[in-house]
Amino acid sequence: MEKVLLKNIENPNSADINEYKKIGGYRSLLKAFDYKPLDITDIVKKAGLRGRGGAGFPVAMKWSFAYADTKFPKYLLCNADEGEPGTFKDRPILEKNPHLLIEGMVIAGYAIGAQYGYIYLRGEYPGAYHILNKAIAQAYENNFLGDDILGKGIKFHLAVHRGAGAYICGEETALIESLEGDKGQPRMRPPFPVNVGVFAKPTVINNVETLSNIPLIIEIGDEEYSKIGSSDCPGPKLYCVSGHVEKPGVYELPMGTILRDIIYKHCGGIKAGKNLKAVLPGGITTPVLPADKIDCPMDFVSMPKHGSMLGSGAVIVMDETVCLVKVCHRALKFLEHESCGKCTPCREGTGWLRSILERIENGEGVEGDIELLLSVSGNMLGKTFCPLGDGAASVVQNFIKHFRNEFEEHIKDGKCKFKSLRV
Amino acid sequence: MITVTIDGKEIKLEKPVTVLEAARSAGIKIPTLCWHEQLERYGGCRLCLVEIEKMPRLQTACTFMVADGMVVRTETEQTANVRRGILEFLLINHPLDCPVCDKAGECELQNLVGKYGPAKGRYKEKKRKVPESLEDPIIVRNMERCIMCTRCVRMCEGVQGASAIDVISRGGHSHIEPFSGGKYDCEYCGNCISVCPVGAIMSRLHRHSFRPWQMENEIETICPYCGVGCTLIVQVRDDVIKRVVPRIGSVVNNGLLCTRGRFGYEFVGSKERLTTPLVRIAPKTQSGVGSQESTLSQPPFDKGGSQGGVISELFREATWEEAISLVAKKLSEIKEEYGNPAIAGIASPRCTNEDNYIFQKFMRVALGTNNIDSTARTGFAGAQSFIENIFGQGATANIISGLSNSDLVFVIGGDPTTVNPILGLQIRACSRNGGNILTIGNFKGLEYFSPQKLVPVLYTEDILLEGIVTVLKNKKRLSDANSKLEAKIKDISTSIEDVKNICKIEEKDFNEFLNILSESTNPSIVIGKETAQSNGASYKLLLLSAINYLINGRLYLLSDRANEQGLLDMGCAPDILPGYRPVSYVESKRRYESIWESELPGKTGLTIFEMVNAAKNGSLKAMYVMGENPVYNLPDSKTVEAALRNIEFLVVQDIFLTETGKLADVVLPALSWAEKDGTFTNMERRIQRLRKAVNGNGMEDWRIISEIARNMGKKFDYSNAEDIFNEICKASPLHKDLTYEDIEKGGGIYPYKGEPLRDGMEEIQVHNAERLSVNGKLYLRIERPLFHSGTLSRRAPALVKIYPEAVVRISPDTAKALSFKEGEVVRVSTKIGSIELPVVIDKALDNFSVMLTNNFEGKSAYRLMGYDIEPVTRASVLDGNTVAIEKAGL
Amino acid sequence: MLSKAAIKELNEIRQKYPDASAALLPALYIAQREFGYLGADAYEAVSDALGVPRAIARGVGTFYAMYKHKPMGRHIVQLCTNVSCMILGAEKLSDFLKNKYGLETGGTTPDKRFSLVIMECIGACGTAPAMLVDDDFYENLTEKYIEEILEKYK
Repeated sequence: MEKVLLKNIENPNSADINEYKKIGGYRSLLKAFDYKPLDITDIVKKAGLRGRGGAGFPVAMKWSFAYADTKFPKYLLCNADEGEPGTFKDRPILEKNPHLLIEGMVIAGYAIGAQYGYIYLRGEYPGAYHILNKAIAQAYENNFLGDDILGKGIKFHLAVHRGAGAYICGEETALIESLEGDKGQPRMRPPFPVNVGVFAKPTVINNVETLSNIPLIIEIGDEEYSKIGSSDCPGPKLYCVSGHVEKPGVYELPMGTILRDIIYKHCGGIKAGKNLKAVLPGGITTPVLPADKIDCPMDFVSMPKHGSMLGSGAVIVMDETVCLVKVCHRALKFLEHESCGKCTPCREGTGWLRSILERIENGEGVEGDIELLLSVSGNMLGKTFCPLGDGAASVVQNFIKHFRNEFEEHIKDGKCKFKSLRV
Repeated sequence: MITVTIDGKEIKLEKPVTVLEAARSAGIKIPTLCWHEQLERYGGCRLCLVEIEKMPRLQTACTFMVADGMVVRTETEQTANVRRGILEFLLINHPLDCPVCDKAGECELQNLVGKYGPAKGRYKEKKRKVPESLEDPIIVRNMERCIMCTRCVRMCEGVQGASAIDVISRGGHSHIEPFSGGKYDCEYCGNCISVCPVGAIMSRLHRHSFRPWQMENEIETICPYCGVGCTLIVQVRDDVIKRVVPRIGSVVNNGLLCTRGRFGYEFVGSKERLTTPLVRIAPKTQSGVGSQESTLSQPPFDKGGSQGGVISELFREATWEEAISLVAKKLSEIKEEYGNPAIAGIASPRCTNEDNYIFQKFMRVALGTNNIDSTARTGFAGAQSFIENIFGQGATANIISGLSNSDLVFVIGGDPTTVNPILGLQIRACSRNGGNILTIGNFKGLEYFSPQKLVPVLYTEDILLEGIVTVLKNKKRLSDANSKLEAKIKDISTSIEDVKNICKIEEKDFNEFLNILSESTNPSIVIGKETAQSNGASYKLLLLSAINYLINGRLYLLSDRANEQGLLDMGCAPDILPGYRPVSYVESKRRYESIWESELPGKTGLTIFEMVNAAKNGSLKAMYVMGENPVYNLPDSKTVEAALRNIEFLVVQDIFLTETGKLADVVLPALSWAEKDGTFTNMERRIQRLRKAVNGNGMEDWRIISEIARNMGKKFDYSNAEDIFNEICKASPLHKDLTYEDIEKGGGIYPYKGEPLRDGMEEIQVHNAERLSVNGKLYLRIERPLFHSGTLSRRAPALVKIYPEAVVRISPDTAKALSFKEGEVVRVSTKIGSIELPVVIDKALDNFSVMLTNNFEGKSAYRLMGYDIEPVTRASVLDGNTVAIEKAGL
Repeated sequence: MLSKAAIKELNEIRQKYPDASAALLPALYIAQREFGYLGADAYEAVSDALGVPRAIARGVGTFYAMYKHKPMGRHIVQLCTNVSCMILGAEKLSDFLKNKYGLETGGTTPDKRFSLVIMECIGACGTAPAMLVDDDFYENLTEKYIEEILEKYK
């Protein structure tokens, strides 16, 4: 498949607007302005585009809700807060192909009637912050942003808002809070952001990769687009592979590529000829898959049927030397650190789970600890305010589900046998 | 109509509400912790998760809205298990220290654990350890007990609007802190304490001194401090006030209190309270207030509170019989010898309507004089009658909560959030509801509520107000509804150039202000005392009345005393009888003569300032002061002191031996607000009942006076406050036919059942004062702090701890120009005196102003402030007191 | 007090938002740069500049991991130890930083040259282990490479 999202990124000047224009950049924008806003939403709907942030929500549906709301101004937010550990798929777009994103945002803004856009960029990407600011300045100079874009009477302003280190801000209502200058704590829904979002105005929040698909859809049309990848969630997809593979990195492949193929065909298999033990297919909070369960198409619809989730498409590959109790512990340590503290089960539960896992990993686990882990995570699951707490509970439950023996061994032996295998 | 079924019970609702509200309306109780009826919905604790048919997940009842046909189950095996699980999460880091926790017995967590069962002790890790914070003098913070419901934060930010505390850090490390991390340095409303469900934020005032179940009595009464008239619940044990709390649903303050109301009650039990009548033994020249120096070196009160030393030097103790007959005898003699006009009385805005009614009746009937006045004369009385003369009686009797429903609040002459804090909250709520706040001047308490400010150069407010009227009258059409006022409005005109050049206001800011003001459809105007006490006050009040008329607004007049309104209603003024019947009207005089069965004086009496002058020149021979401290509460206090020293016979009736009391010939111990029944009338003119909570050593003010009157052969037979109230309502046309029962039922709100009063409106008179020029000089102005009100607050240890000493406030530029540092002690001098005080640099101040409070003995602003009398309102004018500041000790 | 340049920068950023309070996060970054870390002075300066109550500013600031609340070294080494980096040896690198440079997690070298912050994922998982020194990414770390990198920061 020809690369679209990562097109031209080998060019060292790919972030420059002139280089982008050379390869046809901003042509979709011109084309889009010939449509009526609703027509664009219709094309995106027919194209079957789903949000690439993790939930896979149909993009056109969000857009049409926001368009229908009568409050003004409206806002388009780009979620560039990819904080799910293992995820680095948006970074190449942000750093190497920022104009693709900007073009996508202007089109999306036009489609929903938004006059203001913000890119909520995670604080950990200082490089991208400068690159995006420069790209936005260039887009203003070229009249792709402003009060009267390309003389078409269309207004769209764009700015970068830098986060400051909070995973939870990837959750869209927490992102809104953070953009407003508050703590990134999720809001209750309803009202939904499409009606009452940032600054209490209708707001659409789309992921970087999602918005970067828009110029392609406009360019090739919904019919062509829907032929790419899985039939029920088409399009190109960025898979970012890390861990024990020969060639880790970001791969642009058709949506629904088989996980085994991603690891063995595209990434060159397991590093140093070791055996595969487990895969976290969509970031650390998606259910872990053991080595024999990786023949699954990586898309939003298929993955749940295979016992996991596509998440952000962040594939973390772990070979036989990895202690999964330790990985589970590290994941919980992360989630404890990132829990916003708003709701009781997540605030108290993540720390409790982490401390039990810490005991087990340190060889201090006692009989009943596994049941305790299951019970405590059970008391969290389905009771938390937002998906973070659910994710924490599900991490523990899934690691135990597939690798209970490893937990049991830790408790029985009073130690972690993988310590000696540490790299 | 929405129909939902909760626990099998069908509930019909007019509009969509939350599942929790629907359940509560049907008497179904769903357990909650983070939910609170005064606060925004939050959904954090997860305790109220309920089952809803057709919903895959449990939903929080406190956030989930009902829909027609919804079926909800609130108590099932599943919900019970979930709640047990949530409570276990809350308990893993919660200490099990209920036996030593003050909250035990009224702890919501304790109660819920009692209901759903204790945790099984599965948590093997160490609990979070945080030492209890005792860094603050008023509020104890125990973060081990905190369950992060954030009610306190939502109260502080979303209701109180102080935003003094917040959640610090995140996740399991979250905890609540004031900005400093230790001391609160906040408005100290204590509303965070009210809403804390556990023992995490508590009052230090009663720390470890009782258990909630040991409370013997709870009395609902009215706050003794300001004119808002908040309902207080006074909790008593062993005849001592242990705690004051609000009541949700009370009409004025609905579950909220300010710092004075909540923490200012300790003066009742002060060791400094007067307990027996005192008769002077020392010569008049000796008083203990004396000169500045002696006051500083020898505080009249020991730090511990005993005042035995000063009392025994000046007075001997006397029996009530002796004291009463002495007062009766002396007053009769003076009346006999010098005539009625040689006697005067000062009534009290801290005393009840009943006390004040009896007081003026005594002055008029027993002593035959209309020389009755009060400190309301210093601003409130004249301003109110000026406004009422334009708009009619009751023009300022507007409902306080109406401010929050206004689309605009215009504030001038004082920070409402410090003078009348609960009223201030309504202005903050107005802003939160999307209303505009416009201010003339800087008011710190409104700083975070997006005020549109115009800050004119000191003493040029009149030009700015003229400018506003000039623009408004061109934007709005005059309707001829008030021809008297319109005639005045037609003459008002000033140019934008004057506003720009003299007031130093930017045209852009002025225009923006005017646009907002003129577009308002439901505006309110709040006027503080500084306007009423300013140079040319009557003209400014006219301009404000004109603005109010042009925008069709409501007027609020701030009142810093609990019964300032009531005392005027009771006729404690030299020109009016109860219910505002002018003494000069033969008809009204006759009415009262027949009701009181006595002849009444027909001549208008002296104002409080005229009394001081009469005392000074020797024509005033006797004075009766009830619950007031004129030596302290009138400007140029040293002159007042000298004048009162000149009086042959001075009676002071109070709860403390005040500066005035020390000059008295007889001191009579009265009961405090908490020790008696009666009524207060707040600034909305709502009459509310005070109820006795504890016993005291003195007598009610009305009873003391009645005893003296009887001793003088007058018929003053009342057995309780209600008797007097019934007479008031018989006598005063304003209060016609009211009863305590009516008040109980909410009938105490203006205009009662009364007859229209003050029929013939007088011409509008204004005094065009010469404008003061401020070039380069510094002027002394009064700071009216949140934490003090004078005599009462400085005997309330909690309030003294918060604001312990007098300070002088200057702007950063002034500090820089004079090279003063924060905290440095400086000498503040005016032409009538000087005081040494530490400096506080205040960013909100302009470079012409020096601010000082009038709340600390020996270091009060009034010792340094001279005054003029505004010819129309007859109030004191405090503008123009130039002041010099220099390094102390030079 | 913020410098004049900082106030100018903040005023420009302020224009990007309809509400002043939305500029709080960028303002805190500016204050952190000006004061070195966010202490009471820094929060008061931000509070004055934006009209956000100071306790709220501090509550927000302490919520986010990238705001520092104590003095830091001249350069901040931000080492990722999340799963992808961990399974490729990040913990050994943190031991190395401790043994070779005396850098404890959250600590600062006595010469105030470096502070070490352990990061959650920094989005360099494909080139793990990785770290940021100040604003610069370094990937595919080894002990030797870290030595070379840190040489550049004085």
